[in-house]
Amino acid sequence: MQATIIQNQIVELRHLCKIYQQGDMQVKAVDDVSLVIHKGDFAALCGPSGSGKTSILNLIGGLDVASSGKVMLEDIDLSTLTNTALSEQRKNRIGFVFQSYNLIPVMTAYENAAFVLDLQGTDKKECRQRVMKTLADVGLQGLENRRPDEMSGGQQQRVAIARAIVTRPAIVLADEPTANVDSHTAESLLDLMQALNQQHGITFLFSTHDPRVIERAKRIIQVQDGQIVSDDHKT
Amino acid sequence: MNLNTLAWRNLWRHKRRTLITASSIAFGVLLAVTFTGAGDYFYTRMIDAGANMGMGHISIMAPDYNRAPSSKKRLQQANQHKLAVEQLDNVKSVASRVQGQAMFASARKSIGGVFFAIDPEQENSDNNLFIKAMVEGEMLSSASGSSIVLGIELAKRLKLKIGKKVVYTTTDNRGDIVSAIARISGLFETGSDEIDGSVAVLPLHKVQQVLGYQKDEVSVLAVILSDQRHSDQLRDKMQAMAEFSDTEVLNWQQTQPDLAGMIAVDKSANRIGQLLIALLVAAGILNTMLMSVLERRHEFGVMIAVGMSPKNLFLLVMFESFWLAVLGLIIGVIVTTPWFLYMSQTGLDLTSAYGDDFSFGGVLIDPIFKLRLFSESIIAILIGLFGLTLLSGAYPAWQAGRVVPVESLKTL
Repeated sequence: MQATIIQNQIVELRHLCKIYQQGDMQVKAVDDVSLVIHKGDFAALCGPSGSGKTSILNLIGGLDVASSGKVMLEDIDLSTLTNTALSEQRKNRIGFVFQSYNLIPVMTAYENAAFVLDLQGTDKKECRQRVMKTLADVGLQGLENRRPDEMSGGQQQRVAIARAIVTRPAIVLADEPTANVDSHTAESLLDLMQALNQQHGITFLFSTHDPRVIERAKRIIQVQDGQIVSDDHKT
Repeated sequence: MNLNTLAWRNLWRHKRRTLITASSIAFGVLLAVTFTGAGDYFYTRMIDAGANMGMGHISIMAPDYNRAPSSKKRLQQANQHKLAVEQLDNVKSVASRVQGQAMFASARKSIGGVFFAIDPEQENSDNNLFIKAMVEGEMLSSASGSSIVLGIELAKRLKLKIGKKVVYTTTDNRGDIVSAIARISGLFETGSDEIDGSVAVLPLHKVQQVLGYQKDEVSVLAVILSDQRHSDQLRDKMQAMAEFSDTEVLNWQQTQPDLAGMIAVDKSANRIGQLLIALLVAAGILNTMLMSVLERRHEFGVMIAVGMSPKNLFLLVMFESFWLAVLGLIIGVIVTTPWFLYMSQTGLDLTSAYGDDFSFGGVLIDPIFKLRLFSESIIAILIGLFGLTLLSGAYPAWQAGRVVPVESLKTL
């Protein structure tokens, strides 16, 4: 049983700390956090603003470096990697969905979704097949040639989700993915991510205080003052 | 999408800004073409005019003649040397000349001056300034005879007209004073009082007789080249040839050091001017590229977050600089071509500002401001501005490659 859990482990945080220097003061944004995210998780880091959830996501995503402790992404310790190696990890094993979509404005929906595959050097034909299928999966068939400014917020976030999952990453890190859309669009995006999780086994870790996300999450991790105060699995 | 395409699209995110920056590169092309073209034109004109005034682009003479000219020092076997030079590439013509100082006297007055003895069959208006500047009467009809052509000012000072006699006195090959009489067949006017008031043209064979020279003995063989830029190369080649081992072979920089010095100084000033313009253009490009990078820090943060390497981000901005350079150069060529064509064919007449006798470094030049560009100048301008744009983009590109995603992205 223990071996299976380790095998399914995507992310493991071991006594993770992140301290920021603000003038003469040291602020502990992440305080001795230990956590395991398993394959297929649909988990939400919840907590008030400033509780440290975004800092935890940044550390898991290799965007920031821990002051102490370890971030294991599958079998790799991110804290030992150089910037270039971290880029490789992000490119190949992590998908990101941002609050404000963050699509590249000069690219079409297709090109945005294909961006990371291009960086990976994926064969053009395979890239096309995967992108077209992914765009269809997120409900954007027929909108491939639209640029971000020609799409609604919900459509843009779907492109962002397509960009995050098209490389088949180990985990998708989503920071407040529903914060900038109306409630109808938010529900529809959550339907989509839930379906991707259930049908394709894609692991999602959210940072959120949106009750709709919390309601859908299978696992709720409460963060307060940089520490995990509860970790509940829904049955 | 490859970086190149992305860079091209990024360039058009701010059309007006891109076009303004490209226009500054284009303006740089225009200025560089004008400065360099004026230099290429005027320097060539001055060098050619200087060569046509007696010594050629390359001069072959007796050893030490250039340092201390004297009728005693003469180039022997000039005809053989002439034949050898004519076989060489880029040689347009070779003229045998005897030259020296003389006293010119009329019944009323004597004036010191300089004579050039030429063979009219070897000379024409393309290689001899005095033939080109004839204003009255005729140039010498043969290398023999007793004709003389005077500068118009010299004739005025001697109070002589065409058909009148003039006595010239000089020293011969032994250093003895000799005189001869000649009849004025024509007058020339170059526009320079110094030249028009002191120079006389005499028939070569007659002067050789007067000086006691053999027929194949001259002061100098003046070699005119089809392109003055080959003078160094050809001089070196001739110096290495056995045929010229008993002679001194010098190029125009050595025979006309004043002119060479003036051109060198002018070229330096021209280059400093161009450097300042280049710095202004570079500052404009740097400013645009840096602004463009700083306002996209968030976007670059996203790109790095999703896996783009800092190296690729650096390359992306460098590609943007590349396309900006290409665009600027294309606009520059389009804008500059009509200007260059007009200025190379018609030019600006500066007679009203400088008068007819505009001279520089002791050489008379037309007061028409024209442009001319050598192929190497065109390549230098294009490569220079292209390199300048890429160099100006290097710092912003380096800044882009240093973006720290966690700082650029306020939130994930």
